[in-house]
Amino acid sequence: MNKLRTGAFHSGMILLSLLWLGPVIWVVVMSTRSFDDIAAHGVGSLPRSFTLDTYRQAWTDGGELRALINSMLVTVPSVALSLGLAAMAAFALSRFRIPGRRTILLLMLAGNLLPPQILLIPVAKFSELTGLYDTLWALIAVQVGFGLGFYTFVLHGFMRDLPGEIQEAATIDGAGTAQIFTKVMLPLTRPALAALGALSFTWIFNDLLWAITVLRTDDNMPVTPALLGLQGQFVSSWNVIAAGTVIAAVPTVAVFLRFQRHFVSGLALGAVK
Amino acid sequence: MSDFDPGRRRFLGHLGLAGLGALGASSFLSACASSASGPTTGNGSGAVTIQSNLSSPQAKAAMEKLIANFNAQGKGTASLNTIASETFRTQLPTYLTSANPPDLYTWYAGSVANDYASKSLLLDVSDVWKSLGDYPQSLRTLSTDASGKQIFVPMNNYWWGFFYRKSNFAKWGVQEPKTWTEFLALCETLKGKGVPPIGIGLGDTPWVASAWFDYLNIRINGAPFHRELLAGKQRFDDPKVKAVFTRWREALPYFDPKGKAYPFQEATTALLAGKTGMFLIGTFFADAAPKDALGDLDFFRFPIIDPAVPLAEEAPTDGFFASAKTANPTGTKALLTYLSGVEAQEAYVKASSGIVLPANPKAKASDSPLVVKGKAMLDEAKELTQFFNRDSSDALQPTADTALTKFIDKPDQIDAILREWQAGAEKVFKG
Repeated sequence: MNKLRTGAFHSGMILLSLLWLGPVIWVVVMSTRSFDDIAAHGVGSLPRSFTLDTYRQAWTDGGELRALINSMLVTVPSVALSLGLAAMAAFALSRFRIPGRRTILLLMLAGNLLPPQILLIPVAKFSELTGLYDTLWALIAVQVGFGLGFYTFVLHGFMRDLPGEIQEAATIDGAGTAQIFTKVMLPLTRPALAALGALSFTWIFNDLLWAITVLRTDDNMPVTPALLGLQGQFVSSWNVIAAGTVIAAVPTVAVFLRFQRHFVSGLALGAVK
Repeated sequence: MSDFDPGRRRFLGHLGLAGLGALGASSFLSACASSASGPTTGNGSGAVTIQSNLSSPQAKAAMEKLIANFNAQGKGTASLNTIASETFRTQLPTYLTSANPPDLYTWYAGSVANDYASKSLLLDVSDVWKSLGDYPQSLRTLSTDASGKQIFVPMNNYWWGFFYRKSNFAKWGVQEPKTWTEFLALCETLKGKGVPPIGIGLGDTPWVASAWFDYLNIRINGAPFHRELLAGKQRFDDPKVKAVFTRWREALPYFDPKGKAYPFQEATTALLAGKTGMFLIGTFFADAAPKDALGDLDFFRFPIIDPAVPLAEEAPTDGFFASAKTANPTGTKALLTYLSGVEAQEAYVKASSGIVLPANPKAKASDSPLVVKGKAMLDEAKELTQFFNRDSSDALQPTADTALTKFIDKPDQIDAILREWQAGAEKVFKG
């Protein structure tokens, strides 16, 4: 009976994971097919050709190298900056009796409830006014601005639950506020920061909407709009796009694997009050 | 107690170091960002920027070559900026209205361009047209806005038709039909052989159905009525429009039932694999065909329904317009003059794989039999229309998509569908 249950469980899980992996495998397989094969037999058919030239095309013709560099130039500072600022804000809001701290927190949360689509035109116009339009700075500013509310909210929840005695002990030991923040709070918040870091890295790296809103020069485009650029007006080389997608997925997968442990434990963040 | 203290000290020191490391890394990375994104601001002084939606690899390469040629001539400098066509479509209004817009844009002729012109966003390029005296009147009219000045320079156009595989038509022993009756007979024959006669691809690309509406309307009611209808001067619930759908219903049983599910690219695959008989589509579909199938492709014009109606064909025209705010109108016009010249147009046709006809009458199109036939068909036409969205607006296109998809699903509800379409169109025209 027990064996049967284990067997059923495993075969069920194998099927389920195949369901999850299916699209990924499909993309990888498609990236190794030739254009004529896809055109003649359709994107869904079994592969009848094998080529790795698609990766070369995506890398050189698609300008993916430049795009990946742009993506990293935006993502890494955005993640560092937004998490740094959010940690400071969360520290202040959770450990000190700042007047109106609830309102500030709710305001930050409310900002997250706004659909980004309604802000596209204001953001585009504002970035133009500030002269940042079509620079990576604009994108970094937008990403930091939009991430900040949510990160602060999550970190606030985490920091609030840290025992107050630690802070008191540090105060008695003569630590100032800045020292408590950098030497006590930040280290203790590390799991939350790691999880949020992995999350925000993925979000910012995969963002398309803001990139095409504040950028218009192809040399400035990060990897997601560059992938879109591989599509023609009517007809797209799906094999090259698939290859480009595989390449573009590498950084996020690497970050996820590196922070996997924190990421999974971090999913429960704020779930228990 | 004495054991406890050093331990905690070490703990704190360790963590402090980690914190410092994180801070250092972030400042280093933002320094990188600044050095890379710094010099990209602004358009530069003299260079004309051309914002292009020709993002497919061949077309992009063709444009790059043209711009390189122009720069080599020393009459000015231009820089090409290729944006994904889908992104371009949504961002074009933002580009045009921004404080420091790109100078030149690839886009469509006709009402789409005129819309922008009526908002004074486009540069008057009548100067360029002075050297385009031998362009046909139809293209000149198409490039002229309501106030009578030219705002558009055409680059090329293409045509729509019923495409099929020669080898398959030979295998099935059928001929190209000329009239609607012959067309329906052909459909019946193919259906008898177990082949869905008419391929279509409406999943993700519902606008393909508009070609049927356009063609039936210009065959039954004529091009002038069609234009007035799309400009909001006629009503979609007019009996004349209903007549279009009555005809369409005759052909509806012959449509490939799978066509609602997949996009036109897959409908192309189905056509090439002999799973459908023929396919009403624009020449751009050939980009989705494997190279070895291209020689086997042929097409016939949309069958004649009423011989009394002057012959009209769909010929979507692509080209360029310039921003009214350009800092360098002289350079922009010089580039436009170059792009409309014989040399540039022939180079573009040669380098891009698409089946396109150059706008300049002196430029030679590719001499493949397909292109010769297509050019002859357009030359024979008394009137040229473009396509539903190009003759109306991108805002009206979704109303057509809804109405036509619904009609294909439930043809007997046509009266209600047309009433809804009219209501939807009125909202768009009131804007």
